[in-house]
This record gives sequence, C-alpha cells and structure tokens, in this order.
Amino acid sequence: MDFGFTPEQEALRREVRAFIAQHVTAEVVAEMEGHNEGLLGVTPGTSRGPAVKELFRKISERGWLGISYPREYGGQGRDRITQYIVEEEFARANVNISTAGSSAPMILAAGSEEQKRHYIPRLIRGEFSFAQGFTEPRGGADLASLQCRAVHDGEDYVINGQKMFTSGAHYCTHLYLMARTDPGAPKHKGISVFLMRLDIPGITVRPLWTMQNDPRAPTRTTYGQSRTNEVFFDDVRVPKTALLGEENKGWYIGSTGLNLDRVGAARYLISVLRDEEIINWIKENRFDGYSPADDPAIRDKIAELWIEAQVCRLMTMRSMSIVEHGGRFAYEGAAEKVWAPEHGARSTETIAQMLGPYAQLLNGSPRAIEKGIFAHNVMGAFQSQINHGSVQVMRDQIARRGLDMPRARKASR
Amino acid sequence: MAQCPMCGKPVDEAAVRAATSQTAFGAREVDPAAGTRQFHDGQWYYFDRLECRTKFMAQFGTGRKP
Repeated sequence: MDFGFTPEQEALRREVRAFIAQHVTAEVVAEMEGHNEGLLGVTPGTSRGPAVKELFRKISERGWLGISYPREYGGQGRDRITQYIVEEEFARANVNISTAGSSAPMILAAGSEEQKRHYIPRLIRGEFSFAQGFTEPRGGADLASLQCRAVHDGEDYVINGQKMFTSGAHYCTHLYLMARTDPGAPKHKGISVFLMRLDIPGITVRPLWTMQNDPRAPTRTTYGQSRTNEVFFDDVRVPKTALLGEENKGWYIGSTGLNLDRVGAARYLISVLRDEEIINWIKENRFDGYSPADDPAIRDKIAELWIEAQVCRLMTMRSMSIVEHGGRFAYEGAAEKVWAPEHGARSTETIAQMLGPYAQLLNGSPRAIEKGIFAHNVMGAFQSQINHGSVQVMRDQIARRGLDMPRARKASR
Repeated sequence: MAQCPMCGKPVDEAAVRAATSQTAFGAREVDPAAGTRQFHDGQWYYFDRLECRTKFMAQFGTGRKP
C-alpha cells in the first residue's frame, strides 16, 4: 500500500497551485461573492461574470475539466487520483471544478450512447447542470417511498407529483428525476429515472429558504446553500428517450449515482476546509499580547480536529482508489458520508467554543469574524448530516452492505 | 377555490400554481407567499401557508388518510 503521490502527480499539484495563484484573481473572487453555486455558475443564464467565465476557459484549456471521463465524451481519460489532486487544489481556493456532479457518472453507467454523447461533454464544459429530483415531502430519508408518478401515454411519459429540497433547481438547466412507473411493484422496484430540461411546460419551482438565509451566508460558507426548492410537476410530458436506463430499474441507477457522487475531493473538503481555515486564522491573529496559537487548550483542540480531518482525507483516497481499480464499492462512500459531515459538525462546534461569543455573530454584523462564516457554518453543518443521504440511512447501508446484516426492523410507533 | 385542510381558509388554487417569475435558466417560478400545495396519495392538497402543510405532514405524512 502506497500513500504517496508519484513525482508527476506532485508536479501537477505544483502546476495547479501556481495557476491558482496567478488566475484566481481578486476580480474572480469578487464575481463569485454572493453566489455559492460552485462552478455551475458558468451555465448560461446564471449571474457569473466575465472573469469567472475566462477562468473556466483557461482551466478547460489545460485539460483540467472532466479529467477522469473518457475522451470520446469530452473528458481527458486520465485517472481519478489526478482528478483528485486538481479538484483538491481548486476546492481549497473555493473554486469547484466538479461541474459534472452526480449526473455524469449515472449517465455514463446507465445511459444510451446518444444520452452519453449529448449530456456528458456539455456537463464537463459546464453548459448543462443537473439538479437532483429525488426527495419528496412525505418520504424524507425513505427515498424509495416516493409518490411522483410517470405514466405511459403514447410515445411519451406524463409526470405528476412533487419534489422537495431540490437544491440547484433555481440555477440548473436540467433535472434528473426519480418517479414511480409501476405503483404495483415493491417500492424499490417500480421506480425509473428521467432526464429533462427544467424549462419545459408543467414544471414549476418554488423557493424554500434554509436557516442560512437570514442574513445571507457569505460565499465561503462551506455547508449547503441558503436557498433550496420545491419542484412541482403538472402533466409534464417527456419522450421515452428521457428515460435513463431500463424502466423500473431507477432505484439502482439513482443509488449508484449517489454513491459515486460521494467520492471526490470536493465532498471531503466540504468538512475539512473549515479546519484549515481556523488553523490559519489562529496562527495569524494576536489580541493584546494573547496569541491563541500559544494556548495549550486551543492547540489540543486544533490537533484533534486535524487528526479527524486526515481520516476524512484517507477515506476519500481509499474510495477513489477502489473506483479507479474497478473494485466493489459497496459501503465505503456511505462510511465517508457519515464521518465527514459528523466531523464537520464537531469541527464547527469546537471552533465556536474556541472563538467565543464573536463566533456567534452572523454576516452583516460589524464585529463578526470573517463575515460570520464560522457562525453560518455551525448552522449549515447540521444540514450537511441530512442532505445527500442522512447519516442514519448511511449507517444502515454500512450495516447491510458492509457488514452483511439483515434489514432493520421498522421502529414501532 | 380550495380549502386548506388544516386551518380551513380558502386557497386560490390558480394563484398557488401561477408562475410569477423565472429561474436563471427560464424555469417557471411560483410566488412562495401565495400558499403551497402537496401531492399526497395521488391527489393535490392546497394550503394557506407553509406552516399548515408542515402540520399536515406531521399528522398525515406517514400514510394516514386526511
């Protein structure tokens, strides 16, 4: 087992760092301010400015977008560790280059040749972006109990229903939707996945604001977004070509996509960036002769956070290695999805304790530290334990897929 | 007009469904102040406020009939 990087990989890391130092300018940062959509902001119609678009052109020119995707679909055909190194450096600079998200791995795994050629190159280039239409109000974490219906009508499907917590529906171009196509089948077996534009007739989006919204969280806030959405479907008509993979096999396609989306530097850094930020802040600040970096209690806490962060990093590296080598990726993503957000929650609470009352001031307060990112992160860290598969559901997956335990009994009410 | 199943107030179904703006990419957006609705057991229910729907969910979310 080798935990090191090759000389070529180290050279690439230096190259990316030098690029970031030169091209992620104050102008780029100013344009990103107020938008925490990641690099999905390059999608036409969003409010990103010319500096960010130019940055993306240069990143693309160097072949750093879609690194591990096959060349025939617009990627670079390189390995996932290379992708990890590039993503990690950009994520540290608050530039998310994983534009393809969880939709591209899903389309690559289950899509028709036509779907792959249509969607994947555009996802890599950031021309398309997918919001994820999975969760419903009634189901919550029990995704398989979804009620949104897709019914055959001639050459089309007609969709009626509702999705909730559809992050990104207000700036994405497309939606991948899980809908029930066989209501008579057991709940995991009657579901299909559809790909569709968000601007087609019958789809309406309703804003839902999270507790990070008031006041609005600053851009560098790590966890979640201040706005999410409900999406309603009223007789939405999509052609049969919108179906991804086989009809009624959507549960397996969707859960594979979710699992693969949990692999990557950006996701691990969601929980670890705050550790790095607070370490730097503590080293750089002195108050009337007091240096928090000299305080034994603070040093102790910081060391503890750093150790936990390294566990996050190693779990991510392991997952990427398994996927890269075509191994059985059964529960490792779920383990990462438990450890990283729970570490994030512990981390934000520890930071709040270290910084004292000022750390509770939100964006807009004149005495807020770093525009209140630490306070906003405390709130957002709780959200991160729920979205994209709650930590409770992830633990259940580990028990079943990793430890071969039977399905849990339903709790009695 | 529909009736909110929780508070009993009338809810204008057309207003709840009407697009009043657009997302950055052109998807239709509804006014969050105009009430809301929910697709429950194959049927739409209309609510006066989000709080009413939250109460509805707490009461009927796990499958009990409204």
